[in-house]
Amino acid sequence: MKTSLLHTFSAALLLLGAGCGTAAHRIEPGGSQALITVRDVNTQDWQNVAARSIQSLLASGVLNRADGRKTVVMVSEVKDRTGRQLKTTILTNKIRQALLGSGKAVTTTAVGAAGAEDTATRQVRELENDDLFNQATVQKRGTVIAPDMSLSGEILREMTTSGRTEESYFVFHVVLTDLATGLAVWEQTFDFSKQETASILGF
Amino acid sequence: MKQSFLLLTAALLLLTGCQDTVNTVRNAETAARRQEVDYRYFSTDDFCRDRLQLIRIDRGTTPSGLLQVQATVHSARYGFWSELWSGLTGENPYHLAYKFDWFDEQGMRVETPASVWLNLILMPGETRFLQAVAPNERCRDFLLSVKEAE
Repeated sequence: MKTSLLHTFSAALLLLGAGCGTAAHRIEPGGSQALITVRDVNTQDWQNVAARSIQSLLASGVLNRADGRKTVVMVSEVKDRTGRQLKTTILTNKIRQALLGSGKAVTTTAVGAAGAEDTATRQVRELENDDLFNQATVQKRGTVIAPDMSLSGEILREMTTSGRTEESYFVFHVVLTDLATGLAVWEQTFDFSKQETASILGF
Repeated sequence: MKQSFLLLTAALLLLTGCQDTVNTVRNAETAARRQEVDYRYFSTDDFCRDRLQLIRIDRGTTPSGLLQVQATVHSARYGFWSELWSGLTGENPYHLAYKFDWFDEQGMRVETPASVWLNLILMPGETRFLQAVAPNERCRDFLLSVKEAE
């Protein structure tokens, strides 16, 4: 009798434990509570790569111009070769924010890898034949500034498995190209690895 | 009794003997002219303070005129007891996170995507150099925060 009571109690406790979850709550992006998975690029990884790219780019001094003008940078393509459909704009948006904040460069939204990032620059010039608008307020043609440099990159992933252990190796390669010459004036590679060993029971 | 003591000692020695520590050698007379920063250290974690030694902080200027700082830190987690403890707790290598915050001439914090917690994995006895560049020319001061990540 006592044994069956103990079994029932244990089973109830297990079910209770298995059913427990946590209510939705806010966490610090990239903080110690953030999820870390082997196969993906997680919040902390994006933050780390972006921060290191920014530090390296600002330290290099390549954004300095002899004429004192701010360098105009276009954000080109960051090729995702990981097969994970990464949101590469997480990286480029952080870099462009830092570039603007540095006071050394500005980014253009009038041109990008897949056309203009913001089509408004072209759209507003199409108002020049629209009599609804005061033509003196319509933006003129020939005023948009063309970029001096282009930011591009590539993300690669290599997976290795040995027994129950799985390891991923991510490589981020970021390049800044001088569009006058086509030469890469700054490039940097950032890499990191993550490893996980599955339990014997498989969960 | 004696047998179990010997067995325990052997197990402990085996455990500590498995730890990899970093050994270094450098030129005795360094050529670099460093600008050392006089710093104020405020610690809320005695364990972290004892395990991670802050050797020095240097400052410099980038080619674009931005303030650059470098903190030299050293993992003091080596030696018999430290290795034993980190072996038992699985804290080898030592996982840390650090962050630089920047302040302008008025003492206001300057927002930048680079002011985030960055990972740092330290082997016992390893020396690392935590570098950061100010987000713009208005930055005059900095704050380096370090915490144990695991």
